[in-house]
Formats: sequence, structure tokens, C-alpha cells
Amino acid sequence: MASVTLKSIKKSYTKDVQVIKGVDLEIKDGEFVVFVGPSGCGKSTLLRMIAGLEDITEGTLHIGDVLSNDIHASKRGIAMVFQSYALYPHMSVADNMAFALKLSGTSKEEIAQRVNKAAEILQITHLLERKPKALSGGQRQRVAIGRAIVRNPKVFLFDEPLSNLDASLRLNMRVELSKLHQDLGTTMIYVTHDQVEAMTLADRIVVFNGGIIQQVGSPLDLYENPSNLFVAGFLGSPKMNLLEAQLVGVEQGVAIVRLPKGVTLRAKVDAKRGKVSDKVTLGIRPEHLRLAIGDEAGAVPARVDLIEHLGDHVLAYVEIPGINEILSLKLTGHATDLKYGDAIRVVFPEENCMLFDNEGLVFTRTAG
Amino acid sequence: MATFTVRRVAGLSAHYAGLLLFMAFTTFPFLWALSAALSGDPSKIWLFPDAFVPNDLSLMWFKRVFEEMPFNTYLLNSTIMSFWTIIGVVVVSVMAGYPLARLKFPGRGLIFVAIIATLMLPSEVGIIPNFITLKNFGVWASSLQEALHLPSDWNMREWVGLNSYFGAIAPNFATAFGIFLMKQAFEQIPQDLVDAARVDGANELQIMWRVMVPVSIPSIAALTIFTLVNAWNDYLWPSIVMTGKEKLPLAVGVFNDLTGPFATSTSLVMAAIVMTVIPVLIFFAFTQRYFIGGLDGAVK
Repeated sequence: MASVTLKSIKKSYTKDVQVIKGVDLEIKDGEFVVFVGPSGCGKSTLLRMIAGLEDITEGTLHIGDVLSNDIHASKRGIAMVFQSYALYPHMSVADNMAFALKLSGTSKEEIAQRVNKAAEILQITHLLERKPKALSGGQRQRVAIGRAIVRNPKVFLFDEPLSNLDASLRLNMRVELSKLHQDLGTTMIYVTHDQVEAMTLADRIVVFNGGIIQQVGSPLDLYENPSNLFVAGFLGSPKMNLLEAQLVGVEQGVAIVRLPKGVTLRAKVDAKRGKVSDKVTLGIRPEHLRLAIGDEAGAVPARVDLIEHLGDHVLAYVEIPGINEILSLKLTGHATDLKYGDAIRVVFPEENCMLFDNEGLVFTRTAG
Repeated sequence: MATFTVRRVAGLSAHYAGLLLFMAFTTFPFLWALSAALSGDPSKIWLFPDAFVPNDLSLMWFKRVFEEMPFNTYLLNSTIMSFWTIIGVVVVSVMAGYPLARLKFPGRGLIFVAIIATLMLPSEVGIIPNFITLKNFGVWASSLQEALHLPSDWNMREWVGLNSYFGAIAPNFATAFGIFLMKQAFEQIPQDLVDAARVDGANELQIMWRVMVPVSIPSIAALTIFTLVNAWNDYLWPSIVMTGKEKLPLAVGVFNDLTGPFATSTSLVMAAIVMTVIPVLIFFAFTQRYFIGGLDGAVK
């Protein structure tokens, strides 16, 4: 087991093309860290740099206490699971798992013992003699994980390992990966573009965009307190509602903003660094918006555009006259009497409203 | 529904008729040769369609092939030469194709273009330089033999020089076609597989021989068949290099012994040709299954 420390890591393919633009990150021993971000944000490249499959242009990488920039991939004490599984098609499952140990000259008895132990953990003992082509997608993924386990790595690297599985299998494997991490207690770095995987698996999430880290933190912290617009918009499904607005008043712990067409809303944030008449963005999560009860003050009139029934909850897409963005509301499963065209009134609770300045940086929340 | 079925039957009939016609076109030389070789009475072998049915069925001509020429010696020579040609071509093509496909080094594109450009030259341009090179090999080998005071009956001149198996096959080892084929095959292998092997601790040579080559078996099988056919049928170069009858391959031996102004019988030649072709057909039948299914289960 080992920590992983990245210091001002950069990666350029040519002089002009820089894909990683300076990453500082400390991953603690035994931690499960998820790199998340849209395609092309550099998360996979960074993982491959940690693995030793890509050169590091600038900066230092320590795995444990060892400076690992120029150490060969196989000597870094890492094991990697690939999106495509990358099983050797001409070898049996047992040989696939034993390949690394054979290359390193481990004795036959020890290989057999370690392969069997890994197979037991992953419940694939009955598949050991099969070739990869005789396995299902989920079984192949287990073998790929088994191939990583037998090496007793200090750090596991996962590159979108569940992307090729169907939805239900993905859920199962997610749970199993979580258990595996609990059992082994090894440092794991996991790359995904799926925010659900990120939220459920991670001790800490690292959100990437455009080759730089946007924010690092625990899943809930990132969800509740995104530091900028990108993180706010990236985490959460459906997305956070983001509305263009203008700052019209700054009070102690409260900001007052006006949406186009004159609707005024309050947000419990510290907006002192903002100026009145600044352009800002108001953000509120779909589950925090609610329907007004009776003649509630401060509620905004709106019209229902679309209703999606999902069993346990209802998604309502509503339009506020004069505002371009469609808002989504997540309502409890009982609110099923809404239908297309209904006139409703929506409440923006001030303690749940977030505010982002012109550059997309958040104003600190003062609520709760 | 009825018209649909009629149309379907008509379509299938045309389809199969076309395939049968093509089969007849490609196999008739062999069938003609086979029929002539099996005809005890050769009077009808030039008549159509009688020539395609053996007249007075007998194996006499096959027996006479063994009596009139050292068929087994030639067969052995062809086998030895083809086997080592295949080994040589596969090794050279794999080792040249891998870096061209997978390693980045300056001049890679230029080297590949230069190799492909040799396809535009007729193989005959190599005859004189290769002949001179081999002659020199022979001279050097015998000087070495003298210098080391090795017994004179070792005759090292004929290990690597003219009239040697090595001389008859070595110029065929490096083929642009083989290198091209293997380069394409290696390029199709997913990068993840290479990365996985690298993380597992394999060096470049281990990645090549233990992962890339086994995965490329279908391409190597294709190259093997192609090389076998070429080596088995190679006539011109062995006929120039080989001076002793005991080292001639089948193609040269059959031609030298059974044709020409003193040729005894067309039927005899046909029997020899049939026996020459059959080993290749058998080999093909056994290797056919390797053509399919190399990458199944590797990724996704």
C-alpha cells in the first residue's frame, strides 16, 4: 500500500498541445479516489502517467516515497484494469492472471496459490481453465480485476472499468468494487465519466476539466458546495438549474438577485466581493425547488412543460415566462396530478440557492 | 408469397450457378491433370470432354514417376526448403513488422516506403547480385574451413554458398509482402493489450513474442500458406543455384527430368504434377482453421 503524490504534473504532446496543465494532488494511503470529468479532460492521460504508460513532461510523481517519474510501469507497484479488459485472448483465465507473476519469475506454487486466492475473492474459480472468448462481459471484467489483484499492487488503477457493461451488471460490479476496496484496503485510483460511479465509490472525487483540477473533495462536499460553475453543473442528475441573473443587493449573509423580467430572489451567500449590477449565475438543485403551498410569498409563477414519472419521484420541467432556461424540479412520487400546461408557482428556498460570479466562482454559502 | 419464393429460388440458383462456374474455371487445370494421370490409355487426354474422365483407370503413371526420377529426394528437398523458408519469412516479417507498427523512431515512414517500393522491382533483378554474394559466401566458408584446419570432407562451401539449401532459400526471407502483412496485423491489435502486458512487466521482445504474435496467428497462418506456395513453386532461383541433382526441389526436378526434347510422356508429367500439388493441399486443409478467430475475447 502506498500514497501517491503528484506535484505540478504537466503533459504536452507537442509544444502547443498541453493536455495536463499542472496538477497537484496528494492521494493518501488506502484512499479510493475517483477522477471524473468530461471526455478529453485529461483524466485518463493522468492515470496513464501514474501507470507509467505515458511520459511525464514536467513535475514529479511519488508512489509511496519513491520518485517514480522514470520507473518502468511494471516496477511501480501498480496494477491497472482497462476499459476494454485487455485480456490476452490466447491464454486461459488462470494464465492471464499468472502472466505478470511468470514474467517476474515467481515460483509455480506461489503463482498457483495467489491465482487461486484471487479467483476465490472474485468467485471465478470455476472459470480458471476457460479462454476469454468463452466468458461474458462481467466475467471478463472480473478476470481483469483478478489479474490486478494477484500482483499485490500498492496502487490499483482503474480506467473506466465498467463502461462496457450493461446497466444492471454495472451496478453489481460497482458494489463489488466498493467491497473489494474495503477488504483489501489498497489505494485505488479510478477514472470515470459517470458521476454516479464517482459519487458512490469515492472517498474523494477529483473533478477535471480542460487539463486542470476543478475541485477535490468528498462526494457530498462537492455536491453541496461546488467551488465553481463547472463542478456545480457536472455533478448531479438531473443537472443543477443555472439561471442568468443580476446582483441587485448585498446584505449581511444574503444576496439579492434579479432574473430577467424582474423576478427577485434571495440567496443565503456571502456576496461581499461582488458589486451591485454584476452579472451572476444563480444555481439551485432540482430537489430543492418546490411547489408553493397556497399563497406563499416569494413564489415565482411558471408553466409545466413536461412531466416524467420515475416511480419514486417525478421530474417536472417548467418554464418561467421571460426566462430561456427550462427548470427541472424533482418532486416526490405523490405529486402526480401535474400535467402539461398547468400554471404553478415555484419556491426558491434561499438557503439552497447558490450564486456564482461572472468568472464562475462560487460565493460562499452562509446557510446551515 | 409464392412470387417471393420463386424469386428467391431463382436468385439462389443463379448464385450457385455462378459459384459452380467459377469453381470449374479454377479447378479444371488440376482436374485435367488428375484425369490424364489416372488414364492408363493416354489417347484421349486432348479430347474434350473425354479428357476429364480417366480412360482405363490405373495408377501406372504414378508408379513410373518413382521409377524414372528420384521423386522422394525431390520431395524431401522441397519440404526442407519450404519449411525453412516459412520459418525465415515469418521471423523476418514479424521482427520487421513489429517496430514499423508499434515503435516510434525517426525515419519509420521512410523505411516502410522503401520496403514497399521493392514490390515494384521484378524479382529477377536480384539474381545476379545474389548469385555473386552466394559465390563469395562459399569462398569465405572454404577459407574459414582451411584456416581452422577442419576436415576437408565437411565441404563448408556447400553449407552457405552455391548449391546449398541456404543459398536457395535465403534470398526469399525478406519479403515486402510479409512485412506489410505483419505490420497491418500488429497495427490492428488494441493498444490496451500492449499496455496491459507492459504493466505486467513484459519487455518489448516479450510483448512481441508472448502477446502480439499469438494474437496475430490468423495473419501468420495466411503468410505461412502464401510463403509455402511460393517456396514450393519456386523454380528460377533454385534452378540457378542448385547444381547437384541430389539437392533439387520438386519444381526444378520434375521439369528437368520429365520435360524437354527427350520427354517420354505427358501422362508421366501430369502424374508428377498431381503428386507435387497434393502436399500443399493437405497443408492448407490442416491450417485453414487458424485463419479465423484470433482476437476473440481480447477486448470488449
